[in-house]
Amino acid sequence: MTVDILSSIKGAQPSEAVNKLFEVIKNANPANTNTFKNNRNNGVSLNDLRDDVVIESSEMEKQIILENFPKQKNGYLVVSKVIEE
Amino acid sequence: MDSQIHKIHQQLVSKDISCTALIQEKLDLLKPNTHHTVNSLLDTLALDLASKVDAKIANGESIGLLEGIPFGIKDVYMVQGTYTTASSNLLKHYKSAYTATAIQKLLDAGAIPIVKENCDSFGHGSSSENTIFGAVKNAIDPNLVGGGSSGGSAVNVAKDYTVFSIGGDTGGSVRQPAGYNKVYGLKPTYGRISRYGLMAYASSTDCVGPIAKSLEDIRIVLNVMSGKDIKDQTTYDSKPIFESNISNIENIKTIGYFKNFIESNAIDGQVKADFLTVIEKVKAKGIQVKVLDFFESETLVSTYYTLAMAETASNLSRLDGSNYGNRIESENLKETYAVTRSENFSEETKRRIVGGNQVLSQGFADEIYLKALAIRDQISANFENDFKEVDIILSPVTPNTPPKIGDSLKDPLAMYLSDAYTVGFSLGQLPTLTVPQGTVTGLQITAAKDRDERVLQFANFLKDTI
Repeated sequence: MTVDILSSIKGAQPSEAVNKLFEVIKNANPANTNTFKNNRNNGVSLNDLRDDVVIESSEMEKQIILENFPKQKNGYLVVSKVIEE
Repeated sequence: MDSQIHKIHQQLVSKDISCTALIQEKLDLLKPNTHHTVNSLLDTLALDLASKVDAKIANGESIGLLEGIPFGIKDVYMVQGTYTTASSNLLKHYKSAYTATAIQKLLDAGAIPIVKENCDSFGHGSSSENTIFGAVKNAIDPNLVGGGSSGGSAVNVAKDYTVFSIGGDTGGSVRQPAGYNKVYGLKPTYGRISRYGLMAYASSTDCVGPIAKSLEDIRIVLNVMSGKDIKDQTTYDSKPIFESNISNIENIKTIGYFKNFIESNAIDGQVKADFLTVIEKVKAKGIQVKVLDFFESETLVSTYYTLAMAETASNLSRLDGSNYGNRIESENLKETYAVTRSENFSEETKRRIVGGNQVLSQGFADEIYLKALAIRDQISANFENDFKEVDIILSPVTPNTPPKIGDSLKDPLAMYLSDAYTVGFSLGQLPTLTVPQGTVTGLQITAAKDRDERVLQFANFLKDTI
């Protein structure tokens, strides 16, 4: 898949400036490439997970979420036509 | 100790000024928007809160230290009911439905938010020119950039339009503008302050950071905002930093600096000379100085941008105009997403999203993204080893002086490379403070993780030493 499709940005092309940064990484030789085994990640301990409960939003929060919705018609929130392909 | 917060608190308590008059004065200063620092004024909210503080004082009730103190907020933080635009077209009319934890803690302490501040769109930039609200002008020389991405916040503090401001630092976005405008700016240890309600740029390095004119004000605001938050599970419990501890430097016997930062061809001659003068003054005070090896600037910048772009491509994928934002309708859902994003994102934001998707796509992930993660691990390991030998690492904030407005947009690679001295500490998730001393764009003081107190102690020492 091309980057314009991956990014949902029309006509997007890789940037020359950014590619220069990536070249530096390609040419680097890190000693250890098994990065997921290190202990420096910020993963949460299983003993420290938050409670799996539903927290009701305030009326004001709900109202603002509705206000932010881009398009409304006759009391309904309007979304684009679903893709048919 | 020098502190604007303490000074204003005393003036309020002794009724030398009313809170309403104080807030009105700051709003009047911000309103002409001389330096393009203002995205929106929170005048109604601020004046309402001020009248409540005045009523308390009139009733003889005591007020907290932060009660009635006016502050600014980078326009990437949620504050319920206020516009939160990220300086972008896409969110030009977006209203926060809830309030960020860090900001809520300041509100709970009685501080009064007066302005949402201009910045690079979604934090994407080092100059605060990548914004729909006009390039932020430097507080000292308005022909120069204000720095970024928290440029509006640093300039407002420098101009005394706010007593303190809350910026966000992903790769230097608090420290660099603080340096460019000669104020203090802290990136605390990653996880010390909750990121909940801070619009995500690169989640693994995003930090909430205070900007202020004095070290004491940084300490006060840091203490209020710190703490574990169930809504950001990368947060941790930290101890408050007491004023009485700041003057203690018994734990600081050795400092280090990175040889390659100072010997680089890219560093301005005066910045280098001034930095080495500081080193000599520190040595003269009996502190041992070690010269340390570190990664090349190009490697640091490339590693940071590879990971930050990957994270921002993922974080910003939600911005498609479906549920909020400036949707532009097209023939079907997929086209609506694409047109909305193409028309509403800035060139710099698009560049970073595309770069992020490049490195995350099949065939490139191993060659670039995973390799950058491995280099980041080595950078962190390098820091861990360094802090076995030294208590503090000192560095310039930037290799050069602030560019003229317009220059950074012409050369994105030069802009990325200008972050060479700040991004490494972000990758290491280390506490780092910019102090407005030493070089024309200040100095950075870094300590090991969760040693934020030590950073403030050394800054206090430097205040009296150089």
